[in-house]
Amino acid sequence: MFKKKLTLKILLFLIFSDILETLTQLFFKKSVLTESAFFPARMLDIFIFLKTVSASWFLWLGLLTVVLTFIIWSTILSKIDLSVAIPIASFSYILVPLVSIIFLHEKVSTIRWLGILFILGGVIFVSLSSKEKESSL
Amino acid sequence: MKQGLIFILFLIVLTSICDTINQLFLKSTINSLNASLTGSILKILRFVLKLIMIGRVWIGFLFAVLSLCIWLFVLSKADLNFAFSADSMHYIFIAFASRFVLKEKVGLKRWVGTIFIILGIILVSLS
Repeated sequence: MFKKKLTLKILLFLIFSDILETLTQLFFKKSVLTESAFFPARMLDIFIFLKTVSASWFLWLGLLTVVLTFIIWSTILSKIDLSVAIPIASFSYILVPLVSIIFLHEKVSTIRWLGILFILGGVIFVSLSSKEKESSL
Repeated sequence: MKQGLIFILFLIVLTSICDTINQLFLKSTINSLNASLTGSILKILRFVLKLIMIGRVWIGFLFAVLSLCIWLFVLSKADLNFAFSADSMHYIFIAFASRFVLKEKVGLKRWVGTIFIILGIILVSLS
């Protein structure tokens, strides 16, 4: 019932979805870069914020990549188990900081990289254990 | 600065909770359809079409939109690399929600993974 074989094609799909996810976050961040001083004093201000942000092309690019990611994910998950897909897909936890450094000139300290490695390990653990569940079904 | 960090973390908790609620609605709706998602892309698209005809799933989407709005606000205030790492806390909420709302079995490995994620987020927030 479950297809577990990871073919080259699916691996490429997974890497592509990693890149798309990273692009999504980059586009979203770019769309709000000019809004760093914004602070909502009233509830109504949130709509002003959203209105300004929605005028940015980056937001719409980001939403487009969200839709693309969803379609590619659905395809991937129809071919392999989530427990195989997530460890490979979670490389975006490394890609996003790299992109942040290169394109947004953010700084990532050693402690933060260590934290990111912990998160990556945790995500892999969480997804690997879904194998136990499937085998018990 | 420290107060700002707590506020940002609080907002990330909010987006993660919204995400989790969305996932819960999505999963419970998919469960009710009782279909296995294997086959061609055409079959998947047909499945998605059937899914979005069900009203319940749109309650989930509403939370997804809410989550996106809060997320954009978070990104306007925090570094992307920090926010994205901290957002991994949705794995924790999903583990708890799966256990207590959907009554799924959550194994030992999954709890260990959850603890690793918590430690990671603490380290990321410290720097």
